[in-house]
Amino acid sequence: MDMEMLLRAVIFGVSTSGILFLVSLGLSIGFGLMRIVNMEQMIYYTFGAYATYSLLTLTGSFWLGLASGVLLAAFLGFLVEKMLLRRVYGQELMFTMVVTFSVFLIGIGIIQYVWGLVPKPVASPTEIMVNIFGVSMPLYRLVIIGIAAFVYLLIQLLLNRTIIGRALRAGIEDPDKVQGLGINIYRIITFTFVVASGLAGLGGALNAPLIMVGPYMGFDMLLYAFVTVILGGLGSIKGTLVSAIILGQVISVGGTVWAPLSYIAPFVVMFFVILIKPTGLFGVAGKAFGFEE
Amino acid sequence: MLVGALVVARFLFPAKMNFITEISIFTIYVMGCNVLYGYLGMVSFGQPFYLSIGAYSAAIYLAYLGNSPLVSIACGIGMGLIVGVVLGPFFVRLRGDYFALVNAAICAIGLFIFEKLLLPITRGDDGLWYRARMSETPLLDIRQPASFFFFVMIVLAVVLILFRSMDQSVLGISFRAVKTNERKMRFLGYSTFGIKWIGFTLASMLSGLAGSLYAVNLGFVNPYLGTPHRAAEVLVATLIGGAGTVYGPFFGSFAFIGIRDVVSKYITRWEFFVGVLTLIVLFRFGKGIWGNIDLLIRERFGKKRETARLGNVSCRTNQTESSEKLL
Repeated sequence: MDMEMLLRAVIFGVSTSGILFLVSLGLSIGFGLMRIVNMEQMIYYTFGAYATYSLLTLTGSFWLGLASGVLLAAFLGFLVEKMLLRRVYGQELMFTMVVTFSVFLIGIGIIQYVWGLVPKPVASPTEIMVNIFGVSMPLYRLVIIGIAAFVYLLIQLLLNRTIIGRALRAGIEDPDKVQGLGINIYRIITFTFVVASGLAGLGGALNAPLIMVGPYMGFDMLLYAFVTVILGGLGSIKGTLVSAIILGQVISVGGTVWAPLSYIAPFVVMFFVILIKPTGLFGVAGKAFGFEE
Repeated sequence: MLVGALVVARFLFPAKMNFITEISIFTIYVMGCNVLYGYLGMVSFGQPFYLSIGAYSAAIYLAYLGNSPLVSIACGIGMGLIVGVVLGPFFVRLRGDYFALVNAAICAIGLFIFEKLLLPITRGDDGLWYRARMSETPLLDIRQPASFFFFVMIVLAVVLILFRSMDQSVLGISFRAVKTNERKMRFLGYSTFGIKWIGFTLASMLSGLAGSLYAVNLGFVNPYLGTPHRAAEVLVATLIGGAGTVYGPFFGSFAFIGIRDVVSKYITRWEFFVGVLTLIVLFRFGKGIWGNIDLLIRERFGKKRETARLGNVSCRTNQTESSEKLL
């Protein structure tokens, strides 16, 4: 394998990392704060991608589709949280997993009803190729990397510089004490959930031109997102970033070495890390809201 | 009850035979999931992997090594046992959420193994065909659908009887105790690790058996028997039927396959209905179909059964209380 191919694989890998990070960040924060394994997070991802497709065909503008995808996903997340998940906080993990999984199935059903079963292609907004170190790369990949990095910075700012972000971080450590300080933890949870589903929608919209948009796209992404989150440790933002970067490279470079590796390598990596360190790379041992260990 | 199910099944025999065969096989599969979810309280999103292990070991035996379907079914169970024993120690020490997702991961790995890695043996997506290689079996020729039906009935009856005795034995009670409060169980001096390992092995054996029955029934297998997408089916069936009960899986698979067949006749999108149904069952009838029937029976003819199952009842009430408190 020559250097050019390797470099291309690495840059592709970073853009894959960007999408993995966007999609799985919400899962990770959601677990840390609410101690819920959000199986249905990926339905927002799918909805984001489909909204992009619809608006792209209607108006011809990808970026408008992207914005609408994020908004639709955030709105759906808000609805689901308010109407359903509110009831399951503090219940045992298995119960919440099955509940959210059935929400996921319902979402897939709705998507099949609205958009049909046939996968839809989404055109990439730019076809421009950019030359980096003698390797020509599609500009769109770099845009993804840029957006993911920007989102990471925003999230860091949000968590470290604002009251609501600090309350959120404190909530991950000990929600009951946060409530004791007079902060409405339910509002924080709703806010987190909306942000998380919006990010998932953004990930879906960004990923839409790279893959075919189909009803089951969330299912495949669900596995990868969970691999990312588990590898990094549930509830850790730093862990999610690190493992997204690792997995992006594993997928991309692995796929260049031997094509089927791109599908299977993340699972193998996670498998061995979990067997050696059962809480993932940066797992947190915080106390969750209303949850007794 | 057991005989009742068989008689009813025979009653409807002529038209719906394949349907009943499928339900019965699915019941065994669901029972495997039930051991994990209903008894031990561990969710696994990777049950299709164990199913396809059973199916492929039966299929590979039939296609390359031998001709007897009975031996192939034994192969399926044996491979289930081996996989359970080998993977068990690594898996059961994981916390519930990690356990579920690592299982989903191994399911994806399994799909890859059967589809790509063992391509020369399993022929990948084309599937493995071996119906012509199956030889006649003594007493009951299970190559014929009609006699295969009886064979499955016998297997189901045996499995149900064994399962019921497991349910009432120390093993069944300790499974439930692990679900109710693992720490207390460990405090009492039981090795929860061992109990979980046994449960995990039992589940993978049952799935392997179901897989090999599928393989013999269909006459071919392909990797899509074990895609992670299908992990939901078995979980949903477990829940609908009533997790943690002996006969729950039968009702669950009956309801699930029935609904799937009926709904998909009218619309192709059964996921929506399955999702809604699961939510309704979870929030309104936490015990599932058989759980509620069982409760009714016990209220009606209470005393006799109560004394016989005293051990279980105390566990059950504990569970009921905690679930009521939560809801």
